Amino acid sequence: MSQQITLYTAKICPYAHRAEIALAEAKVEYTRFEIDLRNKPDWYVPKVNPVGKVPAIAYGGPTVPADQPSPESTKLVESLVLVEFIADLFPESGILPKDPVLRAKARLFVDAVSNKVSPAQAAVLIRGEDPEQLVQAYEAVQALLPPQGFAIGEFSAADIAIAPFLARIELNLANDLGGFPADQGEGPKILELLRAPKLARLQQYFKDIQARPSFATTFDKEHVLASSKRRFAELRAKKYGA
Amino acid sequence: MSQQITVYTSKSCPYAHRVELALVEAKADCTRYQIDLRNKPDWYAPKVNPVSKVPALAYGGPPVPADQPSPESTKLTESLVLVEFIADLFPESGILPKDPVLRAKARLFADAVSNKLVPAQVAVLIRDEDPEQLVQAYEAIQALLPPQGFALGPFSAADIAAAPFLARIELNLANDLGGFPANEGKGPKILELLHAPKLARMQQYLKDIRGHPSFVATFDEASRSVTLHFLCGHGH
Repeated sequence: MSQQITLYTAKICPYAHRAEIALAEAKVEYTRFEIDLRNKPDWYVPKVNPVGKVPAIAYGGPTVPADQPSPESTKLVESLVLVEFIADLFPESGILPKDPVLRAKARLFVDAVSNKVSPAQAAVLIRGEDPEQLVQAYEAVQALLPPQGFAIGEFSAADIAIAPFLARIELNLANDLGGFPADQGEGPKILELLRAPKLARLQQYFKDIQARPSFATTFDKEHVLASSKRRFAELRAKKYGA
Repeated sequence: MSQQITVYTSKSCPYAHRVELALVEAKADCTRYQIDLRNKPDWYAPKVNPVSKVPALAYGGPPVPADQPSPESTKLTESLVLVEFIADLFPESGILPKDPVLRAKARLFADAVSNKLVPAQVAVLIRDEDPEQLVQAYEAIQALLPPQGFALGPFSAADIAAAPFLARIELNLANDLGGFPANEGKGPKILELLHAPKLARMQQYLKDIRGHPSFVATFDEASRSVTLHFLCGHGH
């Protein structure tokens, strides 16, 4: 019923990770092509995504190697649009439920991730701003969670939207990685704020996400950590001088 | 099959206008309640939307007057989430087609409206920044349009996302309304840039929107209150 799917992705990228989780939830066969974001192949921009970013999906068209994309395939971008696309292609995946109210609730949760968590993550982990922003973003998301389970009960597009961000926030902070100065214990200090008793429900939620196979099989912790170390070393050198 | 729908709206608000377009496209039976954004009823934040904005939608629950919302109804917000909700409730409305690729294209168009058109509108019409931003936003949207018709061909959620903003940009500029100084002809000057030959396709798109029944049904009356709203300094 559906046609070939090629996903252009990168392990470090939380946006691309969303698409990978969705495809894993759909249990669908697809071609995964890793793009080195620091050294993009010269065909990527002209043939797949003019903006040069991941994720991107090439859907349909003839069977071709991923590095020779066909003009006949449809190119789609934007992680949240791709998650909805996969949900539409594979309605039995459960990525979005059938009930319109639950679908709306999933989308409102995604909205809160986009409008609260992503900006706070950039502010605190990259620009080194007041960690309280991230605490408040966590509290806002926590307030939307039911007493147990995932955002709308069953695992859904809502959880897919946030999981890659929560994972990278925790991984980076635990390893003292971020736009803040190194070797001052800043990362672990911020992590402690995020693990305060008032955020217990969110921590349980994150635990539940980590146990989800579609998350676990698509998160290469070692690779992401190595990339983060490199990236923040460069960022810190620029910001604070090597 | 579906339950009662009450929408809290305001004619001046482009976000609320999106929901009104969707409801007309769906031919949905619903109750519309106008919220005066400069004088909100005291029950609105506690009983409908804690953030106090429009649009908001109360779905289901017992039949009650709109100004006495029941705790039993589900309250939903965010204009684009509400448009998708109405599309889900009324799949035969055509607001979103059945084909997954076309649905994705509609959402990418709505994304371009959110990430390019709306910020440019705020920058140019409210903060009086370089109009070139708005020209570029128009060009970006235009580049996504097929040679004729609406964003996907037939009218859809894509056009619902764009129409209220395009209509208010053009109306305000034509009336020299904006964050730029008055009486210097700045509005019409900016409008001329947006009506340049390279943007002919966009102007045709706007024409098509203005002639579309659900737009005609939801904007004619609104146009006066849009301009009034701006005069009171409440563009946002």
